[in-house]
Amino acid sequence: MPYVEAKNSSAHFEHEATTSKISEDVLFYCVQRGLSQEEAVGLVVNGFVKDVLQQLPMEFAVEAQKLISISLEGSVG
Amino acid sequence: MGHVLRDAPVGAPQDEGKKWKNKMSLLEVKDLKVRVEDREILHGLTLTVNPGEVHAIMGPNGSGKSTLCHVIAGKPGYEVTGGEILFRGEDLLEMAPDERAAKGVFLAFQYPVEIPGVATMTFLRTALNAQRKARGESEYSTPDFLKKVREVAKSLNIPQDMLQAAASMSAFPAARRSATRFCRWRCSSRAVCILDEMDSGLDIDALRVAADGVNALRSPDRAMVVITHYQRLLELHRA
Repeated sequence: MPYVEAKNSSAHFEHEATTSKISEDVLFYCVQRGLSQEEAVGLVVNGFVKDVLQQLPMEFAVEAQKLISISLEGSVG
Repeated sequence: MGHVLRDAPVGAPQDEGKKWKNKMSLLEVKDLKVRVEDREILHGLTLTVNPGEVHAIMGPNGSGKSTLCHVIAGKPGYEVTGGEILFRGEDLLEMAPDERAAKGVFLAFQYPVEIPGVATMTFLRTALNAQRKARGESEYSTPDFLKKVREVAKSLNIPQDMLQAAASMSAFPAARRSATRFCRWRCSSRAVCILDEMDSGLDIDALRVAADGVNALRSPDRAMVVITHYQRLLELHRA
């Protein structure tokens, strides 16, 4: 999982993360248990980022969560 | 691939045998042909599963057992080139996998699947509620769900520490057993349970647990399709 750390508190940085293809098996497991494709992707992505988010200051964590949901919309084809 | 129809329906008296013929089959696979990439794996398979029955499917690797399971459950990557699958008379192949799940199809995977960062209990509640929503049923609140888990765990004799172990399913035998048992629970709300080599890699104790779990879930309303290498597992199932 790519992780960017900024030592300078006033630095503005961006990082384009390429999302690796979520294991097809894990996704299939989720839908077989009743989740829709969108719900499955959301659950898995949230699981991945959860521990990273927990280490961020609160305001960043909230923003990151919002960004994730926006970028996930329409990404399921 | 060999097929054994194990039992008469559980709890059905002998003279009621005729009634089953008029009841709609739970699952009907008719002349199913399936290709994977360039190879035809299933060449016209027909199988009828009625409520209360336990079907055992055995065969060497590559004979199409998992293919059959995956196609019934709706896993991508398989091309159905002929035949049909009906679930309670409805065209199953037309439905998305989560739709099939809500209708009552359950596939137990060979190995427990772990989703990084997602606790088993969280997943279970999310999945159950998704199904209930699809069926127009009310969803569990977290406290109600936990209560339900405790009830089910008690009825399956799962001790408290195994419940906690299930939160992270690494390859300990105890965790494996509890995973197996939880699988049983998930089965319990479904009409057709397909168990794809659930016995892989289990020691004799865990095998017994798995067999007991399957036995505990047999009911006149439910059917099981058990894929196995092990003759022993079939012997452990009571007639």
